[in-house]
Amino acid sequence: MENAFWGNIFQGWRREESPTVLTLKQVPIFEGFSDKRYREIEKLIHERIYKPNEYVFKKKAPGVGMYIILSGKVEIFIEEADGKKQTLVELEEGDFFGELSLLDEEVRSASAIAKDHSTLLGFFRPDLFSLLERNPELGNKILLNLARVIGARLRKTNELLAESQAAK
Amino acid sequence: MSKSTDPLQQIYRIIIGLIIIGFVYVIWPYIATVVVMLVFAFLFTTILLPGVDNLERKIKSRGLSVLIMTIIVIAVISVFLGGFTSGLVKQAKEFSSQLNQDDYISDLNSFAEKAVNSLPEFVRDIIPRTGNMADKLQGQVSGILQNLLSFAGAVGSFLFTVVMVIIFTVIILYGYYHFRKSLVRFIPNKYFEIGLRLIFNIERSVSSYLRGQLLAATSVAILSIIGLFILNAFGANLTLVVFIGIIAGLANLIPLVGPFVGMAPAILIAFMNNLGNDIALGHKLFGVVPSPFFIPDIILMFLIVQQIDNNYITPKVVGQSVGLHPILVMIALLIGGTLLGPLGMLFAVPTAGVIKVVGQEIAFVSRNAHLL
Repeated sequence: MENAFWGNIFQGWRREESPTVLTLKQVPIFEGFSDKRYREIEKLIHERIYKPNEYVFKKKAPGVGMYIILSGKVEIFIEEADGKKQTLVELEEGDFFGELSLLDEEVRSASAIAKDHSTLLGFFRPDLFSLLERNPELGNKILLNLARVIGARLRKTNELLAESQAAK
Repeated sequence: MSKSTDPLQQIYRIIIGLIIIGFVYVIWPYIATVVVMLVFAFLFTTILLPGVDNLERKIKSRGLSVLIMTIIVIAVISVFLGGFTSGLVKQAKEFSSQLNQDDYISDLNSFAEKAVNSLPEFVRDIIPRTGNMADKLQGQVSGILQNLLSFAGAVGSFLFTVVMVIIFTVIILYGYYHFRKSLVRFIPNKYFEIGLRLIFNIERSVSSYLRGQLLAATSVAILSIIGLFILNAFGANLTLVVFIGIIAGLANLIPLVGPFVGMAPAILIAFMNNLGNDIALGHKLFGVVPSPFFIPDIILMFLIVQQIDNNYITPKVVGQSVGLHPILVMIALLIGGTLLGPLGMLFAVPTAGVIKVVGQEIAFVSRNAHLL
């Protein structure tokens, strides 16, 4: 029996964080929010389960939003003109992809396929728009974080481009 | 999965499909009322959702926002219906008491006489002369009052439906985003993004159409009220002006037919209020065209309001949100009217809009089937 005087009887008072919130905290787009805000975001997140080799989306399909990997692995690839598959990246738990689709209705630039039994968290444009209507403060913070992520990717792309040009 | 099981699976699916259709057919009479209530609740939710979202943004509580919005809507409808009913009862009482006065009776009879005499002789001979027109009208009014009793019974069941629709609307408004998320959960992975797109597009199309229509109806109501006040300034002697305007605005929600329905109460009241008034009977539109009881004035005013609405207001506020061809609008109205009467006509165009959006999405999916 636990000693009521010395034991930490207040442990049960702490709110257990769900795996979804724990994963969201690792994603730069959802970084730096209070626990209350994470619970609000969690309400907008769609949990999807994929079997191995099941497509998450295909190249040129209209994009609706981004995915975060809660568990499993996802391969991002493009098919070349000769039908050869070129893997761009293999993503794991905590990684995210497809965030550009939160901003525009452009088609996907690559395909995504689950490599294992995977659980993905989807965050989609209609939900972001409704969040901007109802809670603009939170919605704008997410947009600002999204802009930072895209800015960081752009900077990295510039660096790689500069490196490859310098190598020529 | 081996291919040999495919035909069996297809047969199995067809059987399941037939069982579901049969089941729905059998239970439809029992669930039809609830389904209609849910459809109404969904439509009200679509109209009220932006308001509730805005309130939630300010007071940071969904529950309180829904409560405030519900109270506002119920208060507005109660004030309107209360005012309208008491005004209408007052009008009916006045008209009924006027019928008992000898002057009024002789006015009505002389009007009937004048009207019959103004007809060509061969038409006059066809009309049976059965004497006192006022007696007949009085009999009609007491008949209407008796019918009101049976009408009260219908009002009871109507009120029950209204209360249920309000309860459903409150529940859907409160948990709207949760319901949407639960609905999306059932979409298979393969169709998930396309399903989300479809739901989003339907939501956007229906809500912009409904809000646009509501704005256009409000504009028509305000313009009609202004027009009726102007006519009153010229001596039209119209009462219940605000309510006539609101009814014209609401009638405007039904395309093509609505504007004509909107004119009817104004014409009726102009006739009731001005009967026996020789100045009103001899009134001339622009001092030239004979306009007994200001009726052509009223028709002209509503036509002007319609022109302003059709050319300036509706294109701005409703725009191309549904974008149906006029012939399709007419077909939708006829089908809606045949199936559900005036209510069917009211919902015909938004329903056709939803069908159009779904059709466009299905066409998009079939064009891009290789992407699924």
